[in-house]
Amino acid sequence: MGKGGRRAYAGLSLLAAGALVLTGCSEGGSKEGGNKEDKENAERQQSSIAFGDAKASTGPAAEVSGAKPGGTVTVLQRDSFAHLDPGQIYVSDEMSLSQLIHRGLTGYKATSDDGKKHEVVGDLATDSGTTTDGGKTWKYTLKDGIKWADGSPITSADVRHTFERTFAPFVANGPTYIQQWLADKPGTEYRNLLKDGPYKGKSLPDSILETPDDKTIVFHFKKPKPDLPYALAMAGYSMVSKKKDTKEKYDKAPMTAGPYKIQEFKSGKSMVLVKNTNWDAKTDPIRHQYIDQFNFQFNKQFEDSTKAILDDSGANATAVSFSNEVDAGNLSKILSDSAMKSRTISGYQPYVGQMNINLSQPEMQDKTVREAIAYALPITPFVRASGGTQAREVAGGLISPTVSGYNPEFDPFGKKKKPAGDPAKGKELLEKAGKVGLKLTFGYINTPEGQQYSTAMAAGLEKAGFDVQRQEIPAETYYDQVSKVKNNFDIFHTAWGADWPSASTVIPPLYDGRQIADGASNYSHINDQKVNADIDAASEITDPAKAAEAWNKINEYIVKDVVSNIPTAYYKQTQIAGSKIGGLVYDDVIGGVDPRRLFVK
Amino acid sequence: MDGEQEPKAKVEEAKKLEGRSPGQLMWIRFKRDRTGVISAYVVIFFFLIGLLAPLISMLYGKDPYTVFADERPELFDSAGVPVQPNGGISGEFWFGLEPGNGYDVFTKLLYGIRNSLMISLAVTVATVLTGIILGVAAGYLGGRTDYWVSRVIDFLLAFPSQLFFIASMPVVVSLFVSPKDETPVYVRVVALIAVQWFLGWMSLARILRGTTLALREREFIEAAKVSGAPPGRIIRKEILPNVVTPLLVQSTYMLPNFVTAEAGLSFLGVGIVEPTPDWGQMFSKASTELVMQNDITYMFFPGISMIIFIVAFNLLGDSVRDAFDPKTAR
Repeated sequence: MGKGGRRAYAGLSLLAAGALVLTGCSEGGSKEGGNKEDKENAERQQSSIAFGDAKASTGPAAEVSGAKPGGTVTVLQRDSFAHLDPGQIYVSDEMSLSQLIHRGLTGYKATSDDGKKHEVVGDLATDSGTTTDGGKTWKYTLKDGIKWADGSPITSADVRHTFERTFAPFVANGPTYIQQWLADKPGTEYRNLLKDGPYKGKSLPDSILETPDDKTIVFHFKKPKPDLPYALAMAGYSMVSKKKDTKEKYDKAPMTAGPYKIQEFKSGKSMVLVKNTNWDAKTDPIRHQYIDQFNFQFNKQFEDSTKAILDDSGANATAVSFSNEVDAGNLSKILSDSAMKSRTISGYQPYVGQMNINLSQPEMQDKTVREAIAYALPITPFVRASGGTQAREVAGGLISPTVSGYNPEFDPFGKKKKPAGDPAKGKELLEKAGKVGLKLTFGYINTPEGQQYSTAMAAGLEKAGFDVQRQEIPAETYYDQVSKVKNNFDIFHTAWGADWPSASTVIPPLYDGRQIADGASNYSHINDQKVNADIDAASEITDPAKAAEAWNKINEYIVKDVVSNIPTAYYKQTQIAGSKIGGLVYDDVIGGVDPRRLFVK
Repeated sequence: MDGEQEPKAKVEEAKKLEGRSPGQLMWIRFKRDRTGVISAYVVIFFFLIGLLAPLISMLYGKDPYTVFADERPELFDSAGVPVQPNGGISGEFWFGLEPGNGYDVFTKLLYGIRNSLMISLAVTVATVLTGIILGVAAGYLGGRTDYWVSRVIDFLLAFPSQLFFIASMPVVVSLFVSPKDETPVYVRVVALIAVQWFLGWMSLARILRGTTLALREREFIEAAKVSGAPPGRIIRKEILPNVVTPLLVQSTYMLPNFVTAEAGLSFLGVGIVEPTPDWGQMFSKASTELVMQNDITYMFFPGISMIIFIVAFNLLGDSVRDAFDPKTAR
């Protein structure tokens, strides 16, 4: 998923001159501890996520130690939920919510209490899927006793409807992987397979999607799709009720199947979730239902939610935020206070930041110049502007630690050792290329952070002999402008997150040279024959471990040999909860608080 | 004010029996006003350090563009907050380091004052010139010219100036810049001067128009007219010397206003942007959560220096007015 320009501006606080008199002198910054935790994190990421069998897919989920039922939790969120229709969900905060209300054919089961180990298991299906021909045909069987929130059973007709309606024109915001696989067409051409969705009497033929009885679903793909169980676990492929489908209106009031249902939703203001009595724990290996009620409040900026939770009185003691992180200003203060630190959780987000070198620019064709940029570019400004090493970790490659195939040793430009860049080496290369004083247009996002890191990055590149021209790009249209094929920028920064823990959701959309188009995410316009061929080969590897290795090889080739994208940082975040919240765990797959395990102490 | 001093002055004058020009009288009165003299010294001090900023920072050995967070990483934590208390104030960095990229606060403040004062001075000069030309012309010529100039003034006064600045700055900037290049600093400066000038000259022009209107009917002007002096000469030799008082008083009030307005624009992010040092932009940096939570000391430097400057300049304005026009009670 793209990291959209959804960052809110820090509120422009009015500065009263009188405040100067009231405030005392300030302490210095925090002294940070070692990197032991980071190393552990990196190590555990090496094992890929397995596909669970029928036994692993049987409910109920293992109890969380110390958990007790009851209580109300306040959830402070920055953005209201724009979409509740599963087919339209593709944003991380809506994905967190959907863990509580929606269910899909498969899902991620946490196999450890720390949210770090997972397994893909059957959620509504009895297992994570069976294939006999290397991933071309996948068969799923529905569990017994699974019901919608109104008590009616979930059948294969609902499953068929769920996938057919993703072809309807109004479903425009969700993921498109499975539609493209079913239609065997790239881009948006898949829509021609079933132009109006299931609403005008047409449906997908049995040769594509087969539902022989009430319990069985069979997917038929033209090419092997070994990643199907991952894709099905996306919130965007959660089930939609065929009988209760209200098309566009479903987005505000969907039928749900998870342990909670929506009692009230005031868009932009608040939301109340209550227990779904028709949810049966025995059918669900993933979720719990400890809490009686979730009260969501929207429009809480990071500073607001952090301050409320720090206050820790009344309802704030049982407050949490699924998506808000501790704001950069409060971060070092909280982490240096052990009482507060125990209420925080941190972990990786799926995003990897990278500096794109626009290969369409004539001056950027010279590989030595690109290497000079790669060596000279300081990463520290980006880390600083985002809140320090607790928020960003200097990256070596383009594959995140949360994705299988991540190699912590890979660091071709020595960024981990010299995060402030190596201007001497950069200068040497630039002199070798005979391009000292080369004009480099740097497009940056016009936010306070963007201004801060771009000026310091420019200062670092100038030390190596570049003539950096910074160009501001409005935050609202940043991704629109940099994704134009014809743009004026030589370098610009973007971030991308994997949709599931496989680099197959990272490498093809970003680095496949056949996907260069306006609005597409191949920002650096890399079109390398070897990369393209390797992508095709890796897509067909069915063994997840071998596939991960193949993807990582492409990643290393792009960074080291093509030098079109310079990895900057892996995104991390720290979240905080009230002191009466139990079961607080940072889930790597969700990329934030695991809402399913929470209870009130 | 100065109920006691006034008679003394008269006694003195009577003793020496010298003829003094109004300018000399003003100067004598001004020198007696202690507040005014102190304020004048403060203001001169600010202009001096602004003028000498390059020299001072050369002697001090640093410039406001060095990213010390990358040059001297041991002084910062990973979020760019200086590790030492009070923003890293030390013998080496007198005013500490700026959280974030770690610019040197001392040189940044010097250059910030320099840039802000330069811009405000330019705006003041431009508005004064425009005010004189249009105001005096309207007042002296009267009739149709007066009507149209006054309507333009009314029209421009009705503009919500702050909103206009914010909306028009990016537009003005984009008019000058090629899409391949960075917006040069001088374009931003010129744009800042232009938008502030465009909506800044009216009040002065209006005052000058009123004064000129009154002067036009006075006998010495009539006399000049009768003796055949051309209008240009009358304006230059007869009217202008008589509007110097409101001109000086008004411009000493206007300059600090322009300083705060310029700071306001940079604070809102439409004026001067990083890394160019600017007073207002230092305020906006000081108001970020990072600085508020971790290094509140930083805010003292731009804050206190600006308070001192504005207060001193306003007191100076009062004193100048008193010196010119001692009969008006405040």
